[in-house]
Amino acid sequence: MPLLAALAVALCTAMVLIVWSVMGGFLSTFMTSGRTISGDLVIEWPNAGFGHYQDLIGRLEKHPLITAAAPTIESFGLITLPDGRRETVIIRGIDGQSFAKVSNYNEILWWRPIDKPVERDTKRMDLRLKAENRQALEQVLQNGLSLTRTDPRTGLAAPAVVPGIHVTGTSYRDGEHGIYFRSIRDTFNADGTKSETSAFAPLDSFVTLHVAPSDTSGNVIQMATRRLPVANEFMTGTFEADNKIVFIQLDELQRMLQMHEAPRTEKGGFRIEIDPKTGDERLVDDAKVIGVDPARVTNVVVRGKEDVSDEAALERLKAAAEEVYAEFAQAHRGEVPHEGNIRIKTWIDMNSTIINAVKKEISLVLVLFIIISLVAVFLVLSIFWSMISEKTRDIGILRAMGASRSGVAGLWLFYGFLLGLTGAILGTALAYTIVLNINPIHEWLGRALGIQVWDPRIYYFTVIPAKVDTFHASLVFAGGVFSAVLGALIPALHAARMNPVRALRFE
Amino acid sequence: MPLISVANLRHTYRLGRVDVPVLRGVDLSVEEGEFVAILGASGSGKSTLLHLMGGLDRPDKNPDSSIVFRGEDITRLSHAKLDTYRSRDIGFVFQFYHLLPELTVLQNVVVASMVMHGFGFASQRAAATAEATGLLNAVGLSHRLHHRPAELSGGERQRVAIARALINKPVLLLADEPTGNLDRETGKSILEMLLSMRRERKQTFVIVTHDPETAARADRIVRLLDGRVVPA
Repeated sequence: MPLLAALAVALCTAMVLIVWSVMGGFLSTFMTSGRTISGDLVIEWPNAGFGHYQDLIGRLEKHPLITAAAPTIESFGLITLPDGRRETVIIRGIDGQSFAKVSNYNEILWWRPIDKPVERDTKRMDLRLKAENRQALEQVLQNGLSLTRTDPRTGLAAPAVVPGIHVTGTSYRDGEHGIYFRSIRDTFNADGTKSETSAFAPLDSFVTLHVAPSDTSGNVIQMATRRLPVANEFMTGTFEADNKIVFIQLDELQRMLQMHEAPRTEKGGFRIEIDPKTGDERLVDDAKVIGVDPARVTNVVVRGKEDVSDEAALERLKAAAEEVYAEFAQAHRGEVPHEGNIRIKTWIDMNSTIINAVKKEISLVLVLFIIISLVAVFLVLSIFWSMISEKTRDIGILRAMGASRSGVAGLWLFYGFLLGLTGAILGTALAYTIVLNINPIHEWLGRALGIQVWDPRIYYFTVIPAKVDTFHASLVFAGGVFSAVLGALIPALHAARMNPVRALRFE
Repeated sequence: MPLISVANLRHTYRLGRVDVPVLRGVDLSVEEGEFVAILGASGSGKSTLLHLMGGLDRPDKNPDSSIVFRGEDITRLSHAKLDTYRSRDIGFVFQFYHLLPELTVLQNVVVASMVMHGFGFASQRAAATAEATGLLNAVGLSHRLHHRPAELSGGERQRVAIARALINKPVLLLADEPTGNLDRETGKSILEMLLSMRRERKQTFVIVTHDPETAARADRIVRLLDGRVVPA
């Protein structure tokens, strides 16, 4: 019977710890993958953007807490895909080299030659492993880094885009093995025949981007459209990013959005002139050039020197960025947004909606599982009650010898503590074993019983993320011991209040 | 001054909705070193009287009732003080031995010392074990120290219970029909042993029995009839 109580504690401890570890691992993986392209912190002024950003970057990079900063433009737009579909996307203009210093851009480019297969690709089916693709993939990787694609006819490198791997629909995801193939699509012709088309975006696909440029006041001027080749595709593991973001060269997007460097003219320079010979009217722009409007960006992405998974370090980085921006705004007063208006967001601020949602989900699931674990408390209670009934005469003997009520209660509570301790040790060990081997166990379940709890096609992580946090493990461990003591409490008090004479006569 | 004196002691058991008076005003005094036998038929209240004297139970609430042990009325003691009284001053021997089945013979004796010393037992462990071994030698169980009660005969079990009752050197030894569950010969030898050990230790001894032969060995016989002391 005592073993049964310890087992109940062990199972509940293991259950709560496994759930917390998997959910925690999910959050941690999500947050890490969310940071891969957002950097640690961003200074942003959406739509109109701000100029003199190179000066700001120079100032930021001199700060001891900052490793690097990179200019980017973020704009909403439309994309016309190779199959004619039109989708809304987030178009992000980057300079490949500087952006790689503030993000994991280099690592998220999917199409590249690799030597080792991804974790679930046990059959080595990944196209990137094939020796015959190596040279082409090497070129595709370089294209991705430079955001260009060489035109085979002219031999010239033209600006290109790097969309998330789910944007174009040309890469087919094999969720089970965590890899992508070029897609093959059936097209039905008017005469009833069917033709098969195969596409590999980084080699043969083009997309058309549509953006809405605005003037310095943020008002939309007119739509700008540009057809661009696909250079590579990226995969962060976060569906929202992989399905919605398209990278493009920074200066290309600046031109499309009319955020490039341009002469500044005085206002009201247009007038109508009538040709004296023909009598025709024509519009004459004789506005004087009075200066230069500097190129603008909407964001400056910053990477800190400290580990910014620590929130205190992130706050220090934010304070440093605010301080540098204030100096910068002072130096360009009237030309850049005031330091009181500029938006400086940490990666946590940027992902707060999803992070908070997942955190709330973790709390909810934990509360549910803790409630379920209360079963262990009642199980220990009933087991102890039964044990105490069985030992009534022994309790009477101890009381007859002079054992105090608190001594008898303490004895049972200590017994409960020992059982709880045994259960918690077993449960924690079980949880560690399961969490550390969760993927092999999951695969075995799939093979042996056909059960697939974690479908990578839904969750977008190819492996189940799980991480045992020592602090969480300690809490759950203490909770396991506490629940056993709590379960033993009422029976212990009952034992303590027994009348020795009646206990001795108990049959 | 008597070691323990009982005055107008009343005790009622409740059986369902019925009150059953067991003791109806008992007066009794026991001098230090005295051997008193309480004689009476079944249901006369002998065991109840012994339990009340030993602080195992509390009498009915009555301002005239008292159990005075060395000048202190134990009926008015707190639970904690009554526990100390039981462990330090009283040694119990029961008819049905009441040994702890999971413990060995030696542990069954040592546990009484453990109960008395509480957390201080750690420093007393060696002395208590030596004392228990000595007592078990004295009762002829030196070869049974590590046996469990289930492996012993009735007589042997009662000897273990006697050793346990004596380990804390109580002033007052209370025995409730100690030979009642044994055959005549064994009962006799147990009684002899009990008497010789209490003589050596000069302990006050109150024994409950319904056997006139056992009672005859006592310094004084107290007869109980229907919850009252009657003239011998």
